Formats: sequence, structure tokens, C-alpha cells
Amino acid sequence: MLIKLLKAERLKLKRSPIWLAFLIMPIIPAILGTLNYSANIELLKSEWYSLWTQHTLFTCYFFLPIMIGIYCAYIMRIEYNNHNWNKVFTMPVNRMMIFISKLITSSSIILISEIWICILFIISGIIVDIQAVLPLKSILIWCLFGTLGGIVMAAVQLTFSLYIKSFAIPVGIALVGGISGLAFLAKNFGHIWPYSLMAYGMNSNSPQKIIESGYILFMFICIVYIIAFILIGSFIMSKKNI
Amino acid sequence: MIKLLKCEYKKTRRKYILFTALLITIIQLCWALYGNYTEFSIKNGWMMFLYQLPLVNAIFMPLLSIIVSSRLCDMEHKGSMFRKILVIAEKGKIYDAKLIYGFSIIFFCNILNWCVTIIFGYIKGFSGDVPIILYLLYLLFTVVPTFAVYIFQHTISLLFKNQAITFFAGVIGTFCGLFSMFLPQIPILRKSFIWGYYGVLQFVGLFGWTKEERYLNAYFEIMDIDWIFFTILIAICIVMYVIGKKLFCGKEV
Repeated sequence: MLIKLLKAERLKLKRSPIWLAFLIMPIIPAILGTLNYSANIELLKSEWYSLWTQHTLFTCYFFLPIMIGIYCAYIMRIEYNNHNWNKVFTMPVNRMMIFISKLITSSSIILISEIWICILFIISGIIVDIQAVLPLKSILIWCLFGTLGGIVMAAVQLTFSLYIKSFAIPVGIALVGGISGLAFLAKNFGHIWPYSLMAYGMNSNSPQKIIESGYILFMFICIVYIIAFILIGSFIMSKKNI
Repeated sequence: MIKLLKCEYKKTRRKYILFTALLITIIQLCWALYGNYTEFSIKNGWMMFLYQLPLVNAIFMPLLSIIVSSRLCDMEHKGSMFRKILVIAEKGKIYDAKLIYGFSIIFFCNILNWCVTIIFGYIKGFSGDVPIILYLLYLLFTVVPTFAVYIFQHTISLLFKNQAITFFAGVIGTFCGLFSMFLPQIPILRKSFIWGYYGVLQFVGLFGWTKEERYLNAYFEIMDIDWIFFTILIAICIVMYVIGKKLFCGKEV
């Protein structure tokens, strides 16, 4: 059933140029972050780690949360247009599955975006001729845990977009969420706040901490949040007046 | 025009557009003003704000413009309301009315932001009187780039039914503008994007800061104001307005 729902979601998004933004957006920090790294090479001594910070700092706090917010709002908006919720809810499908299929759809674009960020990061590192060995394991961990944190954010945003009919307000919430994530990270609560988890997972602020902190608790919290928001989303769907 | 503006007001009742804009402004103020104020900060507070706030504006003002313009235009796209409105008013006037109404919300937020910043400076007890001429210039250099960004957002929000496109275009532009502020060694970069003009028109610089000594020998200094690019920005506003209006008037709704 889930596979069919995912196929349906893919069909709904067919010919929509939204995914392009997730490919274009990481190019900007890749170019400008690399230029900034090259300009301040005497201050930024940690080579690959410093370059990673330049690439991901603003991406994690402001722009990726907003992009995820827009994508989730768009996925829900398709259903709000032309009373499509009526058609969706009359299908013999569990409402939780509908929410999960939308979450998987948004998660896949987050994963693609993360992989693309990593590819651009490696290319940039080669261009600026970083001599240190490429921390491939760390990059993989940043990418995967960043995606996991991003899925939590997507689950929250999907819930907001489901509850709020407007397109812009959930995006505004994503902006506020991204900023609040910065504040929570600064106060060392980054591992428990849903909007900090992506930046925490990607270690955009201090990449070296990745090995020290460990990720078991991080994974546990992410999974708890994802399950909680799937349940909340399904509950809203079951009570929703269409 | 007055009737069209009243019409806009009535359409936006209970849409919480002003409320959303105020909420974003409050968050911006909290972020900009919160922090540890050292002796250096209190002594140089007025100049420090003029140095720091354009960066915060470069993040928040474009995003505020995206949200307000999208909210105002999206309600017309829903249910093909443009067809109904265009029966009673000209396309060009609708474009103008929405632009004036939307930007007045942004302008109000700008003024509020400016006033709160100055009041906060007094409460914190910054040394000396507020350099009012510099602060008026700062207000001007915040409002004009925001107006340019708003015209752009307003136009694409009217042209595209799919508001996700307008959001993505705005966010990518904001990203370019923000990053260009971190690359002062490539000035052409910030001058190439309307979102980068918060940095182009920044006229206070921090000098003498080093990694080792930090603020020990640091000082703020007024730099030359780039009036040529300020004029270019105004010209960009006029060109975007004319092209945007023409495109909207030529579009089938």
C-alpha cells in the first residue's frame, strides 16, 4: 500500500520544478563558502573541517529549514487545491500511511540534497587543494545524520502545513524554527530541539565534536520525534474537517 | 486607488498578515539585540548597531518581503479571483494597489525596527547621543533595498500561480545576498544582486580587530557611502517596477 502511495505522490509532483531548488541552493554556499575559505585560509586552519563549516553554517540554520518548509507546504498544498483532500480521504487507505508517504517523499529530497552538498564539498576541497586526507567517514556521518535531523524537521513542517491551510505561514514557522535551532544549539540543547537536529547532525558549527559526542542519543531522539509527529499528523488527518 | 487599498485591507482581514510581519520583526529584534554587552559594546553601541544590523536585515527583510507579497497575491490566485477583480479595476492599478499595501506593511515593520533599536540603545545606556543623521541614513539604506526586493517578490508572486517558485527564488536570492556580505574582497558580487545592497550601503566598518587581541584595539569608522550604487539601486527599482507592471498587464489571468 505504501509503495502505491509513494508512486501516487511521485505522480503528483511530476513536472513540478520544485526539486530543482534543492539542487541549485547548495551550489551558492559551495561557491561562496569556498571563496570565503580561500580568502581566510590563514585563520581557518582545520582544512576539511573549516571548509565544511563554511559550506554548511547558513545552510543548516536558515536556508535548508526554509527549503524544507516550502517543500512540505507545497506537498500539502496540492491536496488543499481543488478539494483534493476529499479524494485522498475517500481512498481505502490508512491515514497514517498517507502522512508517512508524504514524509518519505520529502525525506528523499532531503537525502538527495545532503548527498549533493557532500559532492560539492569534496569538489570544492579538491579545487582549493586541501592537503589533508579526506575525512570520508565523517562526511558520510554528517550526510546521514543531517538527513535524519532533516526528516524530523520535515515531519514537524508537514504537521504544520497540514494544520494551517496557508502556504506562507508554515514557511514563516520554518524560518523561526531555523533561528530557534541556532539559539538552542548555542545553549547546548541542540540535541533535543527538532529544529536544531539537522545542524547538530551535520555538525555545521564545530565538525570536530562529531567523534566526541556520539550519536546513539541523537538517533533515539530523532526516531522518537518522527514517530510522535507521524502520530500527531495522523490524528489531525483523522479529525480534519475537509 | 483609495478604494482599491480599502479593498485590499478588507480582503486581508483575519488573514493575520500584519500579525505575521510583526512576529517576524519581533524575532529579528530579539536576535539582533540579544547578547552580552561588554564595556566595548556599551561605549561603541550606536556605531556597533550600524555595523551589525545590515547583516540581520539582509536575512530578515527579504524573507519578510517574500511572506507578505506571497500572502497578498496568493489569495487572488486561489479561485481565480483576478478574473473577478479585473472586471472592476485596471490591471495596472491592481498591481500598484497591492504593491503599496504590501510595502506599507514592510515599511511599518522597518520603522518599528528602527525605533525599537534606538530605544534599546538608550535603555542600555550607550555612550553619547544617538547619531541621528547616521541612523536616518541607515533607515534609508534599509528601506530602499527592501523596496527593491519587495518589487521583485511582488512581481513574481503575481506572475506565478505556484507560490513555491516565488519562495525558492526569494530564498536563493537572500542566500546570495547574505553570502556576498561575507566576501567584501569581491565587491562586484554584492553589487550584482539586489539582496546584496544591504552590504553595499553599509557605511560603518570595524577595524583593528585581530584573532589574538580581539577588540583590544578595535574601533568603528564611518566609510564612504556608495551614492553611485544607491542611485543605481533606485534605477533598478524603477526598471523592475516598469517591467513587472508590463508583464503583469500582459499576462492572461
